[in-house]
Amino acid sequence: MTTLYRPISDPLEFDTFGCHPFENDPATPDRTTRQVFLRRQVSDWNVNMKDGSQLQFWGFKDPDISGSDSPWPSKTIRVKQGQIFHCEFKPSKGAHTIHWHGIEPTPMNDGVGHTSFEVKSSYTYQWCAHQAGTYLYHCHKNTVLHFEMGMYGVLIIDPTTTSPDRNNPQYLYDPFDPASTTEAPGITVGAPYAAESILVFDDVDPRWHKLDHNAGMCGDDVGLDKFNPTYFLINGVHNGKTQTDTRTVTKATAGRNVLVRLANASYSKLYVTLEIDAWIVEVDGRPLRSNSAKGAFGRPKLLPKGTRLEVAVAQRYALWIPKIPRGDYRITGSFHHWVTNRKHFDGEAVARITAA
Amino acid sequence: MLRRHFLKYGSVFAAVTTASLPSLLTAKTTDLSDAASDGDADFDLEIVDVDVELIDGSVVPMYAFAPVGQPPSIPGPILRVKQGDVVRIDLRNSSTRSHGFQILGQSMSAVTGLAPHDDDGEDKVRIEFVAGLPGTYFYIDGDNAPINRVLGLHGALIVEPSNGYADGKTRKKPMPYAPTVAPACLKDLFKALGEKTINGLPARFPGKAWEPGREYVWIFNQIDPVLCRRIAAGDNLSASEFLEEFHPRYFTINGLCGLDSAHDKATCPTGHVGEPALLRTMNAGLATHSPHIHGNHVFVLTQSDAYGAPVYQDNLFEHDVWLMPPMMIKDVLLPFTMPPDLPPAPWKMAQEKYPLRYPMHCHNEISQTSAGGSYPMGLVTDWHIDGPLATG
Repeated sequence: MTTLYRPISDPLEFDTFGCHPFENDPATPDRTTRQVFLRRQVSDWNVNMKDGSQLQFWGFKDPDISGSDSPWPSKTIRVKQGQIFHCEFKPSKGAHTIHWHGIEPTPMNDGVGHTSFEVKSSYTYQWCAHQAGTYLYHCHKNTVLHFEMGMYGVLIIDPTTTSPDRNNPQYLYDPFDPASTTEAPGITVGAPYAAESILVFDDVDPRWHKLDHNAGMCGDDVGLDKFNPTYFLINGVHNGKTQTDTRTVTKATAGRNVLVRLANASYSKLYVTLEIDAWIVEVDGRPLRSNSAKGAFGRPKLLPKGTRLEVAVAQRYALWIPKIPRGDYRITGSFHHWVTNRKHFDGEAVARITAA
Repeated sequence: MLRRHFLKYGSVFAAVTTASLPSLLTAKTTDLSDAASDGDADFDLEIVDVDVELIDGSVVPMYAFAPVGQPPSIPGPILRVKQGDVVRIDLRNSSTRSHGFQILGQSMSAVTGLAPHDDDGEDKVRIEFVAGLPGTYFYIDGDNAPINRVLGLHGALIVEPSNGYADGKTRKKPMPYAPTVAPACLKDLFKALGEKTINGLPARFPGKAWEPGREYVWIFNQIDPVLCRRIAAGDNLSASEFLEEFHPRYFTINGLCGLDSAHDKATCPTGHVGEPALLRTMNAGLATHSPHIHGNHVFVLTQSDAYGAPVYQDNLFEHDVWLMPPMMIKDVLLPFTMPPDLPPAPWKMAQEKYPLRYPMHCHNEISQTSAGGSYPMGLVTDWHIDGPLATG
């Protein structure tokens, strides 16, 4: 019988690609004057789970804010489009990185070990987001484990302009032309909003939370092919509490516009449904609009209430609800196995928007 | 005209410029000038049993397609045809088991229950059809679904347009689709590629137009070594048993994992700023993948329907993660722009040097492992920006 052999590779390169990624503390190349500066460090802590057990989580803490040692998800970062951003990162408990998910900087600032380096003790990341939208940041070291361990947060790039509508003063993005009605058919250009719901869905397999920082990196079988989540959460809130917790319930004023930002930080197939019509106005940090001269070839898409939207892992969607009527609206995330597509036991988490 | 278009996954350019590759890789795509659409495309395929060496050196038994007389591969060879071609595919079963063959979304004809041949050379079957809508299609062994397909019997059939230009008679903006049925936004994107300015203002995609053949095929799959071995040992699993017990431990792109796929010239896209590339992405397996690309977003151009035929998108979403459920095919455009989130001029990238290397990996990170660990030796590859703006 014919054997299909794998290609010959350099053992040293094989080792640095996987088992022993390059660790370093370089100066930021082509460093320039910053407009935003913040710091992140690595911490770990125990989280009380729904059933009373405690599990270890890891995350990014902001050393400039006291009491921020147990942020899960890690604290949301908001910066403006066009600002030169620096983040001084000082990991501890081994090497880590920050990947600015959806932001596209140079490789040195992209936070991936095998294409640049992992941060040993200190590095200052530099980038300048050119497009407002919804992003994430997360550790890209042994990512399969570190992402599951909680090392992620939401990154929002806000536009430079504000909406002229005093009832809906926030913009999702700077319009190419605020007066245009063809640029984003179906919605008000810029997707102005008065209330915002940011929902990050996650699932947790408790077995993984007992694993070591480098677990499995050097060829040992530590069972990272087996993911059996038993906890389902939104923004770190257990599914039993998501309909009452302030982190997952958004209060809105009836008659004003609401923006819902969704992200999937789980390892499940995630289906999200809303009890109200909404417009998909942004995907993965790219607003939907039509202007081929500006390089935009999409348009907003209506998501009728009750329609299932599948959100891929680490994908983001922004949904815009115009003039929300008085009422109470559930946003339901349903978690299904990534191979069998069977719904996980207890695999549902529900957030709410309350418009009064 | 007799053409045999066997190409290694996934880059045409890479295949023709890599001297060490076997001769079957030397075919080149035809140009998209007004080729007569009365051509023939004849292929001679064989199904064989193979042992596959995985990234960790372990070996699993699978099935593979081979052009007759040539080495087998998983996925099978790319079958490249032109819209309107009469496509004839002769198939011989040299495996120890019976097999089938079909092209999803393209031809209604299917071969099923083809018994192992008896060495007299007369037991070939033929599928013949006229190539339809340009785009990317799966050919598979549909027998015993999904077992034979997941165990290696899958590949890409690519239908090129016979007159693929986004800009009509000007013919400076090739596109891989039929312009007569392509939505305006799809043509607008291909028209914008290579434009330094539009309406007198700086445009987003300076450099070159998309060039026919500047494309890569990425076929994703998952391997359960236990089931592979059980089936090779004669275990006649039913489809439902297979689905119930399927537990993948290896996650491949073009049959490769981790470092191997990052090194594979046919898998790892390379080029200068301003050299847009088409990525034909396909998921032959049973898991839902979430491919995530660093460095540039991609435009999703087509998405396969329930029959496996391409649907040209009339609303181009720009994603850094695109959803790939089982058997999904999506053509996406990697624009090869300068990474967009750099500080603005007068800042210059001086200390950091080309090539700029970025990964593309599935973000359901379970797929970044092999045999329960070994991150990132799973469904990952790299892509490289080799240098600054190329001008057409």
